[in-house]
Amino acid sequence: MVEQIPSMTSRQRVLAALRRQPVDRTPVCNPTSIATVELMDLADAPFPDANRQPEFMARLAATGYTELGFDSIMPVFSIIQESSALGCKIQWEQKDNWPTVRMREPIYLKPSDIHIPEDWIEHPDAQCVLKAIRILRREFGEEVAIIGKTMGPWSLGYHTFGVENFLLMSLDSPSDTKYCLDQLKRVTIEFGLAQLEAGADALTLPDHATGDLVSAEYYARYLKDLHQEFAETIPAPLILHICGRTVDRMPYIAETGMAAFHFDSKNSPAEAMAAVNGKIALVGNINNPETLFAKSPEDVRREVYANLEAGVQLIGPECAIPLQTTIENLKEIPKAVKDWHRERTLRNSHHGRIE
Amino acid sequence: MAELSDIQNDFIRQEIEEFILKPEERQRLIDLFASASLRMQAIAAALIDGDNETVSNLTRQALAEGVGALEVMDYGLIAGMALVGIKFRENFIFVPEVLSCARAMKAGMAHLEPILSASGIEPVGKVIMGTVKGDLHDIGKNLCIMLLRGAGFEVIDLGVDTPPDKFIDAVEQHGAPLVGMSALLTTTMPNMGKTIEAFIDADLRDSVKIMVGGAPVTQDFADDMGADGYGKDAVACVALAKRLLGLSA
Repeated sequence: MVEQIPSMTSRQRVLAALRRQPVDRTPVCNPTSIATVELMDLADAPFPDANRQPEFMARLAATGYTELGFDSIMPVFSIIQESSALGCKIQWEQKDNWPTVRMREPIYLKPSDIHIPEDWIEHPDAQCVLKAIRILRREFGEEVAIIGKTMGPWSLGYHTFGVENFLLMSLDSPSDTKYCLDQLKRVTIEFGLAQLEAGADALTLPDHATGDLVSAEYYARYLKDLHQEFAETIPAPLILHICGRTVDRMPYIAETGMAAFHFDSKNSPAEAMAAVNGKIALVGNINNPETLFAKSPEDVRREVYANLEAGVQLIGPECAIPLQTTIENLKEIPKAVKDWHRERTLRNSHHGRIE
Repeated sequence: MAELSDIQNDFIRQEIEEFILKPEERQRLIDLFASASLRMQAIAAALIDGDNETVSNLTRQALAEGVGALEVMDYGLIAGMALVGIKFRENFIFVPEVLSCARAMKAGMAHLEPILSASGIEPVGKVIMGTVKGDLHDIGKNLCIMLLRGAGFEVIDLGVDTPPDKFIDAVEQHGAPLVGMSALLTTTMPNMGKTIEAFIDADLRDSVKIMVGGAPVTQDFADDMGADGYGKDAVACVALAKRLLGLSA
């Protein structure tokens, strides 16, 4: 069991956990951004440059491993890189805010408007991610898991059509919606494959079919098969990320063949574990706005322990963390994970058991 | 007290039977629809079904045949949206369905607004709504606006990325007693507090109620910022707006 496994590197630990294989200890993983203003200062790599310049992006991302002690590095801090490459208007913001797509100014009004340039991946905002991954792989070798990010077609639909337009289309014309998803999936696959070629070990695949917006039946109707296709087409562990309440669609997600699901604190670790029934690994789910952003390390520790007790395979924040989160709270995650394993080993040795 | 069987429209009867589970809400809707004419029930049913063309046609016909605009609004459109709001709150329907119902409501209101405006009929309340500075997300705010309008409020929508002075200018310009602010990002949540401070600096804080909401926002956060209320979703936003303005639920 856990303590009998020889010591692993961070990379080995993350990849083993994503395959639901034994690990020396539970990895601390960030499928989404853990960039903060403090870390930007430390690395001298502030937004917006860290979203557009590969050296800045790599430098800021590396702090997750070098300063915080996470087992993974994730250089894509936003969800807009490929949307920018497709021609969406972006508000790049400054150091204290994430860049956002101007979804009120959609680039597509109807399905036939979809035009994905052959060379879209040559766009500087897509290339920035690929170059940053190459820098990180060169610098860290096999030491730490590098996780890339490629947006799913549902999220790209929001960005390119606007959220309301896309959701109304999904109700008015399921066939048009399926056509759009089928067109946009090319971006997901191409960007994913390019990141693997650049050196990523695994990919986060955000596709925001959240319970806050659409039903579980929607997930089954529109996305389950596509997500299965991604798992079959992209030869690396995929971590599906969907924010919000998702426990009703987790049984479908668990059937896709993806390696892991990155889940939100709106779903309890125990109910999420029950919902996926051992068919997919879970990553999560330390609360961002209340706990990591506003509470103390003790509160962070309590949530880490709750996840570990429930059997969650990779521990991390539920989503991209608030930029003003303190380093102290973030460092508490790996610290708490290590303490939990140490305490368990001690407890077991007192009881004369070796796990 | 009316009975479910007093509602003539089959579709509305089925909707209440299947989706409205809380006894007091069920009775309130039964009373409301039972007192509505068959024609108003048909408008409400089309709205609940998200059928904007039928809502538009039936509204136009009703007005042409002498039905009052206020009756169509209260017993057709607002009554229909009341049922939609409950279905949404209870997760029987999701955002696409609500968008479709709101589109139907808008189709009906397009016929009513000129008449209501010309006759000087006042809305139940006036609200300024906006997503705070630095935040371009608006689906949550827009859902609130749809349901507020569906409940008879006049809403001035400031859109996204709204700086504090724009909220202040809008309150002064429209004389609105209520402001609603939304944020989806944890990075922009603090701008709600900054906007509240701007109202204090402008000496307007006492003359306006401020409500906040958005995925990362909590009651504690709202209290810390000094907001008057927090709504966890669009349905709660409508109830909160009524409470803050001293209106009955």
